[in-house]
Amino acid sequence: MIRGFIILLSFQGAGEIISRLLALPVPGPVIGLVLLLVFLIRRRKIDAPIDTVAAALTKHLGLLFVPAAVGVVMFWPQLTAHFWAISIALIVSVTATIATSAAILRFWPSGKSGS
Amino acid sequence: MTPALPIAEIWVYLAGSPLFALLLTLAAYEAGVTIYERAHRHPFANPVAIAIVIVAVTISVLDMPYAKYFEGAQFIHFLLGTATVALAVPIYQCWGALRGKVLPLLTSLLCGGAVSIMSAVGVARLLGADSTVQKAMMAKSVTAPIAMGVAERVSASPTLTAVFAVSTGILGAIMARYVLDVLRMTEWWQRGFAIGVAAHGLGTTRALSINAEAGAFSGLAMGMHGVAGAVLIPLVADWII
Repeated sequence: MIRGFIILLSFQGAGEIISRLLALPVPGPVIGLVLLLVFLIRRRKIDAPIDTVAAALTKHLGLLFVPAAVGVVMFWPQLTAHFWAISIALIVSVTATIATSAAILRFWPSGKSGS
Repeated sequence: MTPALPIAEIWVYLAGSPLFALLLTLAAYEAGVTIYERAHRHPFANPVAIAIVIVAVTISVLDMPYAKYFEGAQFIHFLLGTATVALAVPIYQCWGALRGKVLPLLTSLLCGGAVSIMSAVGVARLLGADSTVQKAMMAKSVTAPIAMGVAERVSASPTLTAVFAVSTGILGAIMARYVLDVLRMTEWWQRGFAIGVAAHGLGTTRALSINAEAGAFSGLAMGMHGVAGAVLIPLVADWII
């Protein structure tokens, strides 16, 4: 558990440093993700400590979004004023995005996907 | 001097320490998960939505400022970055299954991302939402921690962007099943990838709770969208608004 955290935090830290040093538009954690992915591909296996922590974090990813999302209370007046515009925009956008991404995969003309 | 404190002072102490915000957030999430399980993982019983409502209502009733709450809850928020790194694991797990799929996946991601931005900003503008709202819509399909970083670059409010990102994630987690069923999508990897493109981390959590392969491809889509969004959204932002 602790070792897993040390490894993941190190990759996160390395990502932050690279992002800042090279002034990249990509945030540190994303670079950390890419670095860890490259590490895993080279290593050809997932070490148990990494697996334990990664499984716990991804399983409860939703929890981690709660603090930022509670920021909704700060924008309450603005959100209620534009309630319908925002709701409809989000619903239309989510539906259209899922449908577009899914349809492209389903109708991709390679025949590699299932029948 | 005396160890007995009036209740108001105890409250002042609790509100000033991270304990209350941490406990409230964890308890609210646990309640959300319990309800989700009781509802047999029905998409409408989204655990994160339930947790957000519980926390938002509680701090409003207690008259606790959001900044005060966040001071304590930031320890949970910080782990979003670590969890983003950890997504390399589910992506690696479907690495072998990627052969021959790279081009369709990239196309699906870029088209989905473009549709996501244009439809959200377009509909919001059409219905009269102001430019603060429109700007915050741009990065909303990207996972929250990245979306907040992108928001700063396109001079949108990071918090409002996070609110839209999480709302999008919850809506995606709720609606994905219906949209995908209408399109008769049967392959788990295709279903998962589409959810990840549209609904990032929250869609991925939902996908993981249904099927491992869908979860892995959803994580892949979320990671790819995070990288692509961080690079491309600031480039196209001026052109859109």
